[in-house]
Amino acid sequence: MSTYLTQVWAILRKDLVLEIRSRERVGAMCAFAVLTGVLFNFSIDTTTVRPNEVATGLIWMTLIFGGLLGVGRTFHLESQDGALQGILMSPAPKDAIFIGKLIANFVLLFVVSLLVLGVFGLFFGIDLGRNLSWVVFVLGIGSLGFVAVGTLFAAVAEGTHLRETLLPVLVFPLMVPMVIYGVGAMMPLLSGRPFTEVEGNVRMLGAFALAAVAAGAVLFRYVVED
Amino acid sequence: MTTAGMRRGGVVLTVLGLAGLIALYWMCFFWVSTEVNQGVIQRIFYVHVPAAWTSFLAIGFAALASGMYLWLRDDRLDRAALCAIEGGLVFATLVLTTGPLWGKIAWGTYWTWEPRLTLTLLLWFIFVGYIMVRNSTEDPDKGKRFAAVVAIIGALDIPFIHLSVVWFRSLHPEPVVAKPDGPTLPGDMLATLLFGVLVFSLLFFGLFLFRYAVEALRAEADLRARSAA
Repeated sequence: MSTYLTQVWAILRKDLVLEIRSRERVGAMCAFAVLTGVLFNFSIDTTTVRPNEVATGLIWMTLIFGGLLGVGRTFHLESQDGALQGILMSPAPKDAIFIGKLIANFVLLFVVSLLVLGVFGLFFGIDLGRNLSWVVFVLGIGSLGFVAVGTLFAAVAEGTHLRETLLPVLVFPLMVPMVIYGVGAMMPLLSGRPFTEVEGNVRMLGAFALAAVAAGAVLFRYVVED
Repeated sequence: MTTAGMRRGGVVLTVLGLAGLIALYWMCFFWVSTEVNQGVIQRIFYVHVPAAWTSFLAIGFAALASGMYLWLRDDRLDRAALCAIEGGLVFATLVLTTGPLWGKIAWGTYWTWEPRLTLTLLLWFIFVGYIMVRNSTEDPDKGKRFAAVVAIIGALDIPFIHLSVVWFRSLHPEPVVAKPDGPTLPGDMLATLLFGVLVFSLLFFGLFLFRYAVEALRAEADLRARSAA
């Protein structure tokens, strides 16, 4: 077990160090998130809709689009110079590689989702003081579910000649439960309702995330084998 | 079964299915009694529901074949999954055509985010994703593996999509057959519906065998071309 964790950690650490040093993906995702907030602001007539009522939905959509931008490139760097082959030939089992990649993506997306929450809170005048810890918790589970599906399909898309273009077609239909339960849990929380009211939604979101992680860990080996 | 046997089976099932379809239309238009509340438009139900049943049968079948393919690596299983997906796409398209036609009259709008309609739309996109992935790799074996993963994940996600869209909103008529305390549909309507399900399943498997025979012939032709070269 401890060797397994060491292997996961090796992949995770490598990805995080790469990201911290290059700041390629996180930079693009954060810029994307903030600029999307700006564009959303102008796409909504604030005299007819109350911005804080639509903000929850916009936060989740930004998370998905921005997430796709970053997660879609999970295997991009390694597809150069046969680096992915090198990792796959290492003694680490394929699911350990997947879990390592997934946690690295999760850290990345979770950071971005916190930024999205803050920026949208600022732009759309949401009172974040109420239920903040629960809101962050819900965002965390949502990010986990998204990266689980996203990382698996990023590996699939990397192996096709359509690359990232294919990703939305594969990922968006599967993301419907996440958006519904995520928004369904976050909207009441942000308007100050107690957590017990949305507990069912959060449970479903958690079940979705767990199922996605498990399915990804099992199926990843079939995607990368050669 | 040999390819020729497949084709014969395909012919038999498809002819039976087509004959059944004519009988189903006859039952729909002349035999079954008109529903009291909805009137004549309810008759589209006998096509819509069996088509929906068949498209969900298709994804289940494809996911099963895909899982077996990843395990056993038998090309026949992959071919079966592909043929089921293509058949499913046809029947899901039927559902998405007949549903809005009925909805325009019954609900006053072609499209609503009604759970089962939404689910079928997403299923349609999962079918499309499967076909796109399969056709976008240079190495056919890679495409087969990728497509199998898409089919399995798609089938696993369906219960989640179903639960979530039901939670989101429900406008659809409640189930009338698969209920704990037995069907509430009057006898002749139930008979027509079940006959419809049978006919569409026959058609699906007929088309499936046809398509499978074509794929098998293609694989054989590829093999011969390669051994000749």
